[in-house]
Amino acid sequence: MSVIKVENLRYRYPRQTELALDGISFTVEPGEFVGIVGPNKAGKSTLCQALVGLVPHFYKGAIGGRVEVAGLDVHATPVAEVSRKAGIVFQSPFTQMSGAKFSVYEEVAFGLERAGIPREEMLRRIEWALRLLGLWELRDRNPFALSGGQMQRLAIASVLVMQPEVLILDEPTSQLDPAGTSEVFAAVTDLCRQGMTVVMAEHKVDRIAARADKVLVLDRGQVLAWGPPGVVFSREGLEGRGVAVPPVTVAARELGWQEPGGTYPVTVEAAVRIGGAALGRDQG
Amino acid sequence: MASQQKNVWAFRFTTLSLVLIPVAVGINYVGKLFAAALKLPLWLDSIGTVLAGMLAGPWIGAISGAVNNIIFGITADPVSFWYLITSIVIGLLVGYLAMTGWIRTFPRAVVLGLIVALAAAIVSTPINVMLWEGTTGNVWGDALYTVLRDGGTPVWIASFIDELVVDLLDKVITVIISFLIFKALPQRLIGLFAGTDQVEKL
Amino acid sequence: MQNTLYVPGNSWVHRLDPVSKILLTVVGLVLTFVLPGHLLPALLLAAMLVLLGTAGVLRRVWAVFAGVALIAITFFVVQGLVYAGNATPALTLGPLTFYREGLLLGLRLTFRLYNILASTLILILTTRPSDLVESLVRRGLPSRFGYVIIAVLQIIPIMVEAAGRITDAQRSRGMETEGSLWVRMRAFIPLMGPLVTSSLIATEERALALEVRGFASNRKPTFLNDETIPSYAWPVRIAALAVLLLGIAGRVMLS
Repeated sequence: MSVIKVENLRYRYPRQTELALDGISFTVEPGEFVGIVGPNKAGKSTLCQALVGLVPHFYKGAIGGRVEVAGLDVHATPVAEVSRKAGIVFQSPFTQMSGAKFSVYEEVAFGLERAGIPREEMLRRIEWALRLLGLWELRDRNPFALSGGQMQRLAIASVLVMQPEVLILDEPTSQLDPAGTSEVFAAVTDLCRQGMTVVMAEHKVDRIAARADKVLVLDRGQVLAWGPPGVVFSREGLEGRGVAVPPVTVAARELGWQEPGGTYPVTVEAAVRIGGAALGRDQG
Repeated sequence: MASQQKNVWAFRFTTLSLVLIPVAVGINYVGKLFAAALKLPLWLDSIGTVLAGMLAGPWIGAISGAVNNIIFGITADPVSFWYLITSIVIGLLVGYLAMTGWIRTFPRAVVLGLIVALAAAIVSTPINVMLWEGTTGNVWGDALYTVLRDGGTPVWIASFIDELVVDLLDKVITVIISFLIFKALPQRLIGLFAGTDQVEKL
Repeated sequence: MQNTLYVPGNSWVHRLDPVSKILLTVVGLVLTFVLPGHLLPALLLAAMLVLLGTAGVLRRVWAVFAGVALIAITFFVVQGLVYAGNATPALTLGPLTFYREGLLLGLRLTFRLYNILASTLILILTTRPSDLVESLVRRGLPSRFGYVIIAVLQIIPIMVEAAGRITDAQRSRGMETEGSLWVRMRAFIPLMGPLVTSSLIATEERALALEVRGFASNRKPTFLNDETIPSYAWPVRIAALAVLLLGIAGRVMLS
């Protein structure tokens, strides 16, 4: 059964005339890594928020279509309930710190306390999540005394500790330096390898292309493309719509280095393999 | 779009409005800091409470005021606790009047400022009298109090005038500054904090 | 900048649970208003100072007391000059005559001020704010409101720091700390405006993050930490109530 099912999702913010989301449909299977890309104002954040119910319950407005996450009808379920099945991490590490806890250890406990989880279970899950994200040594530090990358990993740990079925990340590295960015991508890749379903909105298309099973390309609230990264990024006209394409793919297209299926490589490794073969041929 | 029926006194304790409260207190603190840095002869320590009232209505304004005095009482000056009611009244008044059109124009905002100053003085006076026979701890106000009492003015009236003189300038300017800041905010934020939008079907 | 007045420590007062300390504070406050004359309030103050001494927090107590010394002085000055019951001159400085009745009233008011402070400090200097709030939440305070109180303590230093950075940046651009009152007042809004806007956006983001961590749920919360009430808590509570009753009885009998 699909973990996420979106059918003809349409949404308009209050006091706006245009739709922020205009007829979006896709599904996510368990264990998949789905990337969401597109230019600014394409609706990536709005879509992420729609997957946990912040759209429409927090922002109100006008909504149509259906969103089903872990079997729950998101439009008819409170956000607090949906977010126990679908954890979401936002852009700003800073504002995701609850502000109510004075140590990393207690910060992770915040959601568990609110959910009424018994104490022994809490202790188990906190240690598991902190070790998983490499934060166990920092557990006594004040959350606001962490680096951006560490804070963002703490945000992920705080979400993971609720044991969701899917992890949604809305441009989690856009406010981080390169070191922090690598930390977060490493953590997410690790989680994926352990079977977690991940949906990630990102600008860094090359990193997405290297890891995603499928990519959803959005522009002005509509789906431009949906499929495996090789297929999606090989399409014509993406740059014209302001969608970033991995530089490797652009180069491969210029050089005519195609994969056997007719698509262009989206990772450096694939490009080197194909280009190497092509060069070998030419020199042969 | 159907016109929304706004019940000004509804208890809208959403996550957003509750999270606004600590930020309102923070804005109070920062206002005081900036006023000191600019060496202004004003406290300007309730801009956050007033803005909370303008953005989210009387109850959030009142709670912001209460929390402000509680926290100030815990962190610096336990005497603030006792003036809790004054802050609550300011938050209630601003919230109610702002939501019923008293910040539509600049002249109206000035009137709102005067009303707030008057109310603050009225509410603080019994506290001043009960606690310490009517003085306020402000040098100029207490000097005036001394002069008035010397001339035979009753305690309550002298105390009220002491407090009013101190409040008038500070509160009116606080409300005016809050009004100007409020008007400059993006409509999206104002709508979000007002909390009156509904979910519609497309 | 010191965040709160809390002074870390391990005295018997520190280890006393917050509810018992609230009781002590309330008893102190009631007695402040109930006890007549000069001697009894002085004794009350002495008793509370001894208590604070056993908690090892006297240095902070003096600091807070010093902070309001000016107010105490105004009591003497103002009441000494113009109190309605003034009759007996005590001190003459130039054209000003201070009267005995007014000065004594100033003394009573000063005791009242410091007794109020001492009562509240018993709780505040020895209790971690998060422990105090958790105590109340366990007994029925909605945890959403408990959150609001704690968040204020964390958020204010952050906002004050951001404000400090803005002030520094503006100062290097020649912010008006000199100049006419009007000029300085005009400089206020360009400082406050951007700070308010960015704070409101941060508020929106924080609310989103809290919503998805179950903030709005009405479920009964569980607690990571265990609550420890020491064995001497009940004796202390009973003693405090006894003192309170004594004080009230004494006042009733004397009048």
